[in-house]
This record gives sequence, structure tokens and C-alpha cells, in this order.
Amino acid sequence: MRAVSPGSPTDLLARVNRDMERSLLRARNGVRYVRGTNRPKLGVTPKDVVWQRDKAQLWRYRGGPRRFEQPLVIVTSLVSRSYILDLMPTSSSVEFLRDYGFDVFMIDWGIPDELEAANRFETYVDEYLPRAIDAVIRETGAKEVTLVGYCLGGVLAFLYANGHQDAPIRNLVLLATPVNYREMGPMVAALVEGRLDADDLIDATGNVPADVLYSGFYMMAPTTVVAQNATLLENLWNDEFVKGFQAVSQWTRDQVPFPGAAFRQMVDDLIRRNVLMEGSWRLGGRAIDFTTTGATVLNVMASADRVVPRAAAAPAGELVGRPDRREEMVVKGGHATFGTGRSAFKHTLPRLADWIGSHSDSGHETKGKRWKSDSSSSLTATP
Amino acid sequence: MPLWLKLVLRAERAVGTRVESAVHSDPYFDLVALINRRKASLTGSVEGVSKRILHLANLPAGTDIRRVREQLARMERRLVELSKELEEQRFERELR
Repeated sequence: MRAVSPGSPTDLLARVNRDMERSLLRARNGVRYVRGTNRPKLGVTPKDVVWQRDKAQLWRYRGGPRRFEQPLVIVTSLVSRSYILDLMPTSSSVEFLRDYGFDVFMIDWGIPDELEAANRFETYVDEYLPRAIDAVIRETGAKEVTLVGYCLGGVLAFLYANGHQDAPIRNLVLLATPVNYREMGPMVAALVEGRLDADDLIDATGNVPADVLYSGFYMMAPTTVVAQNATLLENLWNDEFVKGFQAVSQWTRDQVPFPGAAFRQMVDDLIRRNVLMEGSWRLGGRAIDFTTTGATVLNVMASADRVVPRAAAAPAGELVGRPDRREEMVVKGGHATFGTGRSAFKHTLPRLADWIGSHSDSGHETKGKRWKSDSSSSLTATP
Repeated sequence: MPLWLKLVLRAERAVGTRVESAVHSDPYFDLVALINRRKASLTGSVEGVSKRILHLANLPAGTDIRRVREQLARMERRLVELSKELEEQRFERELR
């Protein structure tokens, strides 16, 4: 092939051609974006509901090679939708973990309404989680599981693991789990100081409405929407970029109401008393000591997390689990790096999967293709 | 990255930093709380008036419907609790 000098007429023509093509694609994608057509379908990795209680559901993802004996159970947050971890095909954490060889389960709390307004932390820690984990054990025949809690799901996961002596947990992985609420940013600080009260935010249904939660997240950086839209405009020609942008925007706007009773408990105990920093919490009539679990605990923090800053998540590494069974990992990116973005699939998830894999027992491979980690931590298929 | 995008991003950060410090300040949260409380009290007053008017015509008001929904939710919660208790008792009996 003949080399083309940067300023040659051939090069200029190629650039004009490329720009014209991109302009046409921009126009097409722009119309689609404005009309709201061509939106990607989210959370579509095939799954089965294997357990249900009230609105809580336990999903088991189909397929994958299943190389490890301990199933992986993801506990999602009460605040946002669980599909951030199963955003789109080829951009799904669940799909990645399944293809790595884990038997992946996810607990989804559903969308609370008046019926869930009385749900407290005890409802999740003592009622739903033990039953969901029993269902996983029944379904798989495994003796132990790896429990992965994301954001507030991490708090539920470590309360369950420490509050139930018989909890069959091999590994406890906490992803961006808030422990020190003094470091949680200005909105939480306003609740600490009493400038805002829980009842200011709870509506007639007894829950904190989804739009209040969305406003809270939006007001953390209200002008970034300008930068995001400018970046979208520049990349509007790129179908994959537009799809990813639409998926993440939809998830960001798609908050769910927060059960009112649990929210009051969170404001009184977690936020105002910062009780998790004491290493125990009185819940359901007993004090839960965070060091009683026999599980190996991995505390994972995102370096640029604005929702749960590193300083808010870091103390989990010193408070949860036995001192000789604690490990820590810092990954690049923000709060959503566990579910979306180039860094998630290039760095975060391979590191996470490698750690969980090395702390699990290898079972016999059941089906599908096998995966192995290469030196750069990205996954490559082997025949 | 094209020059225009660089400029937009730089401008966004220049403005954004100031906006963020404003919306993260104590007066902002005082204002939010004040607006929420005023909104709730205004809604309460308007609902009170509309309720009286609707009741004159023997029609249910939004607050009546809300109260019924709350009662229904309470009843449903109780039913769910009872069915869970029954389920647990049956499970224990089966274990024995």
C-alpha cells in the first residue's frame, strides 16, 4: 500500500469523504435519538426467576461454562435499577462473569410502592437474603456461595453475612459500599446536620420518590450534562457510542423509590450516628458484629467514585471480616465502573473475576467455551 | 478531540465548579428544605379547599383516595405477614 503524506490531496479527499460519511450518520442517529427510536434493550441476558418473595426476585443466568463450584450471588442496591450490571449484550457484567465461568445469580428488589413502605433493613437482611441464599444452595447443590454486594447492596450483604452465623458465604465482595457516611458528600451532610429531615423527602406513599433520588444524584454535578451531550454530538456518527450513551442515560434517570422505613433507619442510624463506623449495628433485636463472618472479604473501591467516594468505602476494609481475611482493591473509574465503560471490561471485571476465581474451588466444566485471563487481564477465548 | 469540544469541556468545568459549590452549600440545602416544607403546606391548603368543595358535591377528593390506598396497603401488608406466618408454620410442621 502506498503511504499517503498528511497534507496530500489524496489524504484531504479521504478526510472529506470520512467527514461526509460521519455527517450523514450523525443526521440519521440524531433523528433516531430525538425520536427515541432504536433504544437498546437493557438487562436482556437470558435468565430464570428461581425464587420470589413479595417484589424481591432471585434470577439465575442461563448458559456459560460454570468452572467454579461456588455460585456468585449479586446483591443490588435499593436505590437504582439492577440492570446496570446487565446493561447490554457484550457490555454486561453479568454476561462477563458468566462467561468467565461463574454460575451467576442476582437478587433484584423490584420497584417498591406503598406495600414496601414499611420495609426496614431487617426485612432485607433477615427475611429476604437468608431465603434467597437458601434457594441458591437448593438450586445448585453448592455448599457455599460468593456474595457480591454493590453499593447499598454491599451493606445488606455484610450485615447478612455477619448477622447469620450459618450463612454459607465463602467470599464476600463489597463493591463501592458506603460505610463512613461523614464522607458521603453534601446531600448526606445536609441530613447529618439536620438541614434536611427524612420526612422532608418521603412522600404520601411512605417512600422517598424516585425523582427525589434522581435530583440528588443530578445535583452532584448539574452541568456535566452539557459535557456529556457535547461528547455525544461529536460521537453521534458512532452507533455503538450512541447505544452505550442511551443505555447509561436511561439507567441514570431510572431510579426507584426508596422504602420509607428503611430510609428513616438509614438517616437516623447510618447517616446521623454513622453507626457502621462502630463495627457493629443493633438490628432485629441483636447487635451484629461485622467481624464474625468467616468469609474472605474483598473491599473494592472506584478511584473516581463521586456517589460513594473512596473515603466513604475504605473503612469497610478495616471493619468487615476477620483481620486476617480482608483484602482491598482499587479500580479505575466512577461508581458505574462495575457495570459500564471501557475500563469496566478491560480492567475492573477481569481483576474482580480473577480474584473471585482464585478464591473459589474449580469444579468440572459443564458446558460452553472456556475462558482464560491473559497477561493484560482481558479475557480471551480458548477452544 | 476537536477544538470546539475541548472548549465546551473547558467551559463546562469552569462554570460547573462554581455551580457545584453553590448547590453543595448550606444555604442551598436550607432553601431546598424550605421549598419542600412550603410546597407541602401549600399542597395541604389547596387540598383542604378542594376537598371541601368536592365533598359538598359528595365526590371523593384526592386525599380520600390516598387514605384508602394507605389503608389498603396496610391491609395488604398484614395479609402478606399472615400468609408468611402460615407458610412458616406449615414448613415447620413438615419438618417435624
